[in-house]
Amino acid sequence: MSMLLGYFAGFLTNVVIYTLFVIGLNLQFGYTGLINFGHVAFLAVGAYTVAILVTHHAPILLAVLAGMAVAALFSFLLGYPALRLRDDYLAIVTIGFAEVLRIWLNNVSFTNGPEGIGGFAVPLSWLPVSHDAWRWLFLLLCAAVTAVVFAAVEYLARSPWGRVLKAIREDEDVAVALGKNIVSYKLAALALGAAIAGLAGGLTAFFYQYINPHNFEATITFEAWTIMVLGGVGKNWGAVLGAVIYFGLYTITSEFTSSPIGPFSTDQLAALRIVLIGVVLILLMIYRPQGILGRKEDLGLDR
Amino acid sequence: MLQFIANGVVVGAVVAVTAVGLTLVYSILKLTNFAHGDMVTFGAYVALLLNLSLGLDIWWTLPPAFLAGALLGVLGDRLIWSRMRRRQAGSVSFIVASIGLALALRNLIVFFFGAQTQHFRLPVEMRQPLGPLPVKLTPDEVHVIVAAVVLFAGVHALLRYTTIGRAMRAMADNPSLSWVSGVDVDRVITWTWILGGGLAAVGGVLYGMIRPIDPNMGWFLLLPMFAAIILGGIGNAYGAAVGGVLIGIIQEASVMFLPAEYRLAVGFLAMIAVLLTYPRGLFGERSLT
Repeated sequence: MSMLLGYFAGFLTNVVIYTLFVIGLNLQFGYTGLINFGHVAFLAVGAYTVAILVTHHAPILLAVLAGMAVAALFSFLLGYPALRLRDDYLAIVTIGFAEVLRIWLNNVSFTNGPEGIGGFAVPLSWLPVSHDAWRWLFLLLCAAVTAVVFAAVEYLARSPWGRVLKAIREDEDVAVALGKNIVSYKLAALALGAAIAGLAGGLTAFFYQYINPHNFEATITFEAWTIMVLGGVGKNWGAVLGAVIYFGLYTITSEFTSSPIGPFSTDQLAALRIVLIGVVLILLMIYRPQGILGRKEDLGLDR
Repeated sequence: MLQFIANGVVVGAVVAVTAVGLTLVYSILKLTNFAHGDMVTFGAYVALLLNLSLGLDIWWTLPPAFLAGALLGVLGDRLIWSRMRRRQAGSVSFIVASIGLALALRNLIVFFFGAQTQHFRLPVEMRQPLGPLPVKLTPDEVHVIVAAVVLFAGVHALLRYTTIGRAMRAMADNPSLSWVSGVDVDRVITWTWILGGGLAAVGGVLYGMIRPIDPNMGWFLLLPMFAAIILGGIGNAYGAAVGGVLIGIIQEASVMFLPAEYRLAVGFLAMIAVLLTYPRGLFGERSLT
């Protein structure tokens, strides 16, 4: 029973961290229309910054804030040239950026290369509780962080600033005609989304307590996109719903695929599961591109 | 130095063959197809199957690989892209769906063939360097270059001298004008996929002759392919070929200064540099911003 409960805590933590990660993506794509296919890069930057700083005995809160700042800084590096380009080029450039970053993390010494980093301090470890209890407390911490970010993004989206973002998504020319500096608004949305992803990265590092470049492959970005378009583009509740459905299906199917079925090995069944993600993405894009909670009008680029 | 250029030309020949299909699909169908790399992988595995199980000589696997790739392209259009066009889906939906297709294709390959690296069964003498040359090249590598040149001459002839080729170029330039002028749009789309899918698959076979075959090979080739078509000027088949060779040379030459793992990164940085300084590419006409 306690093992099952611990498993459930892990499941929920995954849902919560991914929700946070997707809220960042949704701010960029759902609200502003930026096609960021390299979102995992900001998760990686956040996770590595936290892991390295905490290993060198930096206070945890400070390390997490630094992770968010460094992720935002990287997004400036990427966005400053890339945001001047048309939509599909942004997709290519961001995907390339994330791949190059992963290769770099795998080949430099301060990240320990493919061996990764582990054994750093984690939050709440000073509490005299069992490991299982710690997992539940950590889940609560992640949920609290995500709730705060959720509320902040909802507030921002309704502010005049958020309305300009939506205007940019709907029709850039109108936003320009109103005298708005589009590039600076886009850059701010990208950086804010990246900082949120960096925060999710920090939590990921604490959750796994060990990270290596393998944790940050392009598939993570596509999972985030699946969650976003499943739940609903331009809706923060969509991120929650998408994450619950996605990890629900993921967990159920991994129960089925944890041992060989008939002639098929577990590796084959794992591959089939990713085939399923691909097929779901395709079907959604054909029949309901706005997702479950999304409104068709919110797909600014899809008219 | 000369050696790196030679290696670059070999890799570049493969990038050129595959990138032509990517740029044709982009310019005629307005689809940024992230599944193109996995169509390359598909071609390599079709050839692997024929080569290992039927013992077919690798050169004889090229026609069936082309057919299989063409079929995959046309099937994808019937099942996915034509439906999305009918529903007037936006460009982002197309991109997301192509990523879905990429994931599905790659993992179907893992399902059927496994994730381990494999090799074609090639005659041993094909891997021995050729005699008195200033650079080390195997007969295989020379064959890959020759095959790429022949394929490209075919593409050139088709685009330049046939009715369907002219219609394809017209569609790329101005879809609505060519539709009113009586161009059979569906036929052009079908031929675009036959050519694009077929060349991707054949490119995959050629790629498999110069490096090990694994389910990720095409995905990792996608960045160099995009770099090639942007460098050459997007939508321009000739630019894609020249861009492919240039990217190949740049990547291989970077090995002189950087660890080999950074090859992919160098191709990508070259692409960014082109986008920033000369976004039309070498032969492009359209503005990208």
